[in-house]
Amino acid sequence: MASEDIVVGLEIGTSKICAVVGETRRDGTVKILGVGQAPSRGVRKGEIVDFDTAGKCIREALADAEEKSDVMIRSVFLAVSGGHVESFNNRGSVTIPDDREDICEEDYEDVQAAAREVTIPPSNIFLHSFLQRYYVDGQDGVLNPIGMMGRKLEADFHIVHGIGNRIKNSIRCVKELDIDVEEIVFGAIASALVVLDLNQKNLGALVIDMGGGTTGYAAYVDGGIKQSGCIAVGGDHITNDISLGLRIPMARAERLKIEEGGVTLGDSLPGETVVLKDETGFAGREIEREMLNTIIHCRVRETLELLRREFDDSNYLDFLGAGVLLTGGCSMLDGVDKLAEEIFGLPVHLTHAHTVSGVTSAFENPQFSTAIGLIKYAQAMQGEKPRGWLSRMARKIPFFGIWLLIPALLVITVVLFFTFRP
Amino acid sequence: MIEFPRTSHAVAREPRVQILGLGGAGTNVLDRIQLDGADGAELIAINTDLQSLTGSVAPAKVQLGPKTTRGLGAGGDPELGYEAAEEVAGDLRAALDGADVVLICTGLGGGTGSGAAPLIASYARDLGALVVLFATMPFSFEGKRRMAQAQDALATLHRYADVVVCFDNDKMADAVSPTAAVQDAFGVADQTLSQSVRAISALIRRRGLIHAGLDELATVLRRQNPRCVFGSGDADGDNRAHLALERALKSPLMDRGRMLSEADSVLVNIAGGSNLTLNEVQILMDELNRHIADHTRILFGMAIDPRLGNRLVVTILSSVEADPGIDAPRIAPPAREPAPDLDSQAVPEPHISFVESDEDVVAVPAARAPVRVPAAARPPVVEPVAKRGGKQEQMQFEPVTRGRFEKSEPTIVDGQDLDVPTFLRRNGRAK
Repeated sequence: MASEDIVVGLEIGTSKICAVVGETRRDGTVKILGVGQAPSRGVRKGEIVDFDTAGKCIREALADAEEKSDVMIRSVFLAVSGGHVESFNNRGSVTIPDDREDICEEDYEDVQAAAREVTIPPSNIFLHSFLQRYYVDGQDGVLNPIGMMGRKLEADFHIVHGIGNRIKNSIRCVKELDIDVEEIVFGAIASALVVLDLNQKNLGALVIDMGGGTTGYAAYVDGGIKQSGCIAVGGDHITNDISLGLRIPMARAERLKIEEGGVTLGDSLPGETVVLKDETGFAGREIEREMLNTIIHCRVRETLELLRREFDDSNYLDFLGAGVLLTGGCSMLDGVDKLAEEIFGLPVHLTHAHTVSGVTSAFENPQFSTAIGLIKYAQAMQGEKPRGWLSRMARKIPFFGIWLLIPALLVITVVLFFTFRP
Repeated sequence: MIEFPRTSHAVAREPRVQILGLGGAGTNVLDRIQLDGADGAELIAINTDLQSLTGSVAPAKVQLGPKTTRGLGAGGDPELGYEAAEEVAGDLRAALDGADVVLICTGLGGGTGSGAAPLIASYARDLGALVVLFATMPFSFEGKRRMAQAQDALATLHRYADVVVCFDNDKMADAVSPTAAVQDAFGVADQTLSQSVRAISALIRRRGLIHAGLDELATVLRRQNPRCVFGSGDADGDNRAHLALERALKSPLMDRGRMLSEADSVLVNIAGGSNLTLNEVQILMDELNRHIADHTRILFGMAIDPRLGNRLVVTILSSVEADPGIDAPRIAPPAREPAPDLDSQAVPEPHISFVESDEDVVAVPAARAPVRVPAAARPPVVEPVAKRGGKQEQMQFEPVTRGRFEKSEPTIVDGQDLDVPTFLRRNGRAK
């Protein structure tokens, strides 16, 4: 199977950890081979707070994925999230040296480096820089400048950064299980990659990934990512609110949210109640539905309003031809699309990873959007990388040849020594 | 021969700042200031108690009431404190003469502080100085009587001081861990006071790039019944802007920045060495903005002081209306009115040698003009109790709870902790 690559996407979420094994094909399609998941513990608001427990859960999820897909997992693409992830747009610019007329590949790398020459807080590191558009000598609308003639190459990039140590912590947590992390990807962008098709990206769309611990978003305008970010409020908060508001344990609040929860106000009959079942199946407390919905409504409205305010400084919301797309576990709450429509004043759709094929039950669930998106991301990146492990290694390690040579020489010396020993 | 007239208008010089430590508490604070470095201000310890005065490290000292109290304390009696100060009025005037700004630190509630402070403040004001008073209110366990005395004194002081910075000992005690030794607890109170006195003294003396001076100070602190919100922090290293602000917000009187959200004007002064960058200022102000309300007026000062080296110092000062409950005892008119008889004897007296060698006293009265606060900025003597904008406190029926996020890092947006259930925060405003 030379033309396919097997890629694993791992998302360490607040409510669950899931690992998706997928096949990326040369023709640009993705097939899901299996999905492993485990309930997550030791993660709060998208960030690992208990290293050991989280490690165990990751191991469980990966083992589950290996079993279901029959693939041995050695390396993963890892999704990161958390309120610390921020983004901005910046333009990089390079002048082509005098001895050359046309733009070549290294100029692209230079322009990317130039775009990153901005101050971010010292504790932060860069996660991504996504290309938005090129300008050659100020000329707009260049799709691929390599090979073109020009004096000056400029490019707009969308740059995502986050706090270094927190990102490194998730990487370390995975590495301790002897699994390599190929790349780290901001979760909301991974989700956006898989729920949007090319047409929607060009029209402009806002993807909101309503996860367990965080709510991430990525806005595409004119085919490029223009804004992305994360609010450290998610489904966990809704559960917590219910648990505190109705004075019931977290586990039961979670179940109540999934089974009965909705965000629509004034929809229930006056005095309508939900019966909270006992562990033994007997009818327990009765809870007023309106009360439950009010608690959920307040939280979801606030979260979406906070998100809406992130766009206060820009006019990107006016360019979203494809509207708003909701994904992630919380998008399954009843009526959340109506509420989002009210807040954003745009058409809102519920969506899931529909640009892939394979295990249907997996990609039709909005909970897995991010993990599947990682595979899509991997596919997008593969186009840029040389293939084959040897050449890939050669690229990563400087003086790769010497590293091969030294052990070889050592072996020869030892063999010679033993053969000619007096 | 042509005589060329020298420019007659006043040449601005660095204002002469005096720091007075009055009474036992004041003397302690003054010692602390002296040890921390007075930064060019003149320190004068003033007390009735000769023993405490002898132990003080202040370079200049004035004993109050050598005849009235015979070197003992005022015994918690403000009347006695007042008489003691009156007895040495001449000495005090001589000591205060020539100062542009007088910072008085004192502990209210006792005899010397409560009795003498209004008198000394009025002397200083008569001599043309601007008076900033730093007062500590007694601990509540010291008894209601002392608290009432302190409040009376504070009410009187509002008339004679241009700016009153009032610290609550109880509040400061909250900042100390319950297991800390008593002297540590008092140490913290002294330290906070010393820090704030030095910060304000520096604020006045340091000519900033963007100057925040006394006029701003007066604007921020002018209020009927102020409770001072003060924080100061310094840090060096890569992340110094962030750290300095964090330390400032951690100051005991800051309540982790919570108090700031109530203030309607805030004075922020940033001082740093010559390597202070605009970016740092920006980071700091952005971060600070998260702690204050949108409508809050920010008075911003920035100063470059090469002596600071790599350090960055942030000073945040503001005041909020203290709860009205404390206001009640003030309805009784202050015991005495020292002002009228003072005006009659406003005759400058010759210098007496106990004042520290003041080589740079250039007695140019006009030179003082620049630091004087315009009359409008002075706190009005009698101000009708204005109805403050209808912001009613919400009664909290249960302690604010964060449930499972109790131990995680809070997510604060616009001063709201998002981990607290929304319906609790919006209580009643939801629908």
